Amino acid sequence: MSEKPFFVGYLPAPGPLRTFLLTVCILLIAGLGGAGLLMGAAQDDPGPGAFRFDYGRQTVTGVVELTPYPVIHVTEGNDRIKPGDSFLMTAGGKSGVDSRAEPLDGQLAQVSGVVLERGDLYMLQLRGGRNGLQAAEGDAPVITPEPQGRWKLAGEICDGKCLAGAMRPGRGLAHKACANLCLLGDVPPIFVSTQPVLGEEFLLVTGPDGTRLPREAYDYIAQFITAEGEITKRGDLLVWEIDVDTIEVTE
Amino acid sequence: MSVKYIPVQWNPNKWIYDAVMLAGVALFLWVFLYVTPEVLSHERAINPQIHNARAFGACAFVMLTVILCIGPAARLDKRFLPLLYNRRHFGVMTAFVALTHAGYILNWYFAFSSRDKLVGLLSANTSFGQVAGFPFEVFGIFALICLLILAATSHDFWLKFLTPPIWKRLHYLIYAAYFSVAAHVSLGILQDQKNHVFTVLFMLGAGAVIVLHIAAWLSERRETAAKDGAWAEVANVGDFREGYAKIAKLANGERVAVYLMEGKLSAISNACAHQNGPLGEGKVIDCLVTCPWHGFQYDVRSGRSPAPFTEKVPTYRVRIKGDMVEVHPDANPPGTYVEPVPLPEPEPEPDTPEEGATA
Repeated sequence: MSEKPFFVGYLPAPGPLRTFLLTVCILLIAGLGGAGLLMGAAQDDPGPGAFRFDYGRQTVTGVVELTPYPVIHVTEGNDRIKPGDSFLMTAGGKSGVDSRAEPLDGQLAQVSGVVLERGDLYMLQLRGGRNGLQAAEGDAPVITPEPQGRWKLAGEICDGKCLAGAMRPGRGLAHKACANLCLLGDVPPIFVSTQPVLGEEFLLVTGPDGTRLPREAYDYIAQFITAEGEITKRGDLLVWEIDVDTIEVTE
Repeated sequence: MSVKYIPVQWNPNKWIYDAVMLAGVALFLWVFLYVTPEVLSHERAINPQIHNARAFGACAFVMLTVILCIGPAARLDKRFLPLLYNRRHFGVMTAFVALTHAGYILNWYFAFSSRDKLVGLLSANTSFGQVAGFPFEVFGIFALICLLILAATSHDFWLKFLTPPIWKRLHYLIYAAYFSVAAHVSLGILQDQKNHVFTVLFMLGAGAVIVLHIAAWLSERRETAAKDGAWAEVANVGDFREGYAKIAKLANGERVAVYLMEGKLSAISNACAHQNGPLGEGKVIDCLVTCPWHGFQYDVRSGRSPAPFTEKVPTYRVRIKGDMVEVHPDANPPGTYVEPVPLPEPEPEPDTPEEGATA
């Protein structure tokens, strides 16, 4: 009967075993490298959202409106942001600007910050304190809401900031906890519709009658759902008052 | 083997083992972190923090998969036994890689909030009642805790302190960690991926672990089917080979290694006192049974390690009945001397006619 090579850890490996072990070592290293390549190259495109530091700091004036999430309707713009544009605002990190915006509801204000942009979705991350949001001189025009009726939409509720490019990727189920944390911090929620709604893919989503997104809806964040609710156009922003009782998860 | 505790009992094979492991891990991370961004044709790159988190998370999964494949592979083919030798270093490294993954996640997704990061991690998503959107992070946390426990108790001090049976059972946590990682991945990143290459690799890895374990179990079951009766049959006299053992599985589930040394049979427990390594798969070196896992040695007649070492394993009584070697299932206290049983002299072969002779 032939003598089988026997490996003892503190002794040199037997000759007949060395070739086998060398082969295993090479295959292990190469396999790990190959796995890294395949797994790394299989990552999905996170989409076009990003902080636009290349635009520089943007400072514009407009009317603050609480939807209840703060929106600014621009009255005095600049080269990039035009009068008539409406966009959402956040603070740094996972925080909204509610406490700063509430005293200025319906008033003219100057806002300053860096743009987050994803296609038609536009958001401004404001500078800290009064540098980011302060009352401005002048008469504030009245922003008249334009009801668009009740709609049944299909799509995904996201936190507006990560979706707009604060994180890439900034949507999906793997990102759900982060999105919830953003929404708990008063970052505006955005509904990403699978089909354009009145020409728009992104809608600010709120609860009924000017309330915040209900906590019951948090279970459905980052899932593909259908739901019904009233759509109102505020400036050039669509606001969807979701009826939580109508939410259904779809494939 | 050592009679004192030192952090690592280095030897050339351990250096080689760790070098190969580190080279593989470094190559995985380097390719994932620095090569694949060139391959991906994204309009805007994935956040570096997320890219890093994914690299370390994927690496930890692959490392765990390899670790869990080594055991059954070694049972199916003894040539893989050297991969078991320093596997605990592989495990400790995996814990560090997994911890790095967790660090990137915690300091990115759960940072920048008014809540404490750990509070945010545990409270942001509470959708426990659903599959899609389930807070898969909890599975990752559980797996990480398991890996850290295993890494922290991997040293021989804990083996001695806890005793091998308890230590061994504790280290079965590796399976809980792996299942938890599988759930973490399945309910997390796999729910989002549109490119299914990772899904296929994940299933191949998990599938390899399952298939190898089943194959090893079936192979072992075939080889060591339980036998009835007071004395358990081991093998035929002619099946024994000088310096090697046959393994018998007793009705109580214990395994016995019956060695042939210098023409005599002796039986000791199959479980090494060090890490329950399979003594019966070792061989006699310098008149001592040598464990195939870490080289712990025992006198086959008494189950005692040579001085100054103090390890002891139980011994068993052996008898030869007809052509069958049998062991008694009642184990002697560890270290009990048992007189070896000589194999019967082979019968002289019948005379054969010489070349050229005719009847």
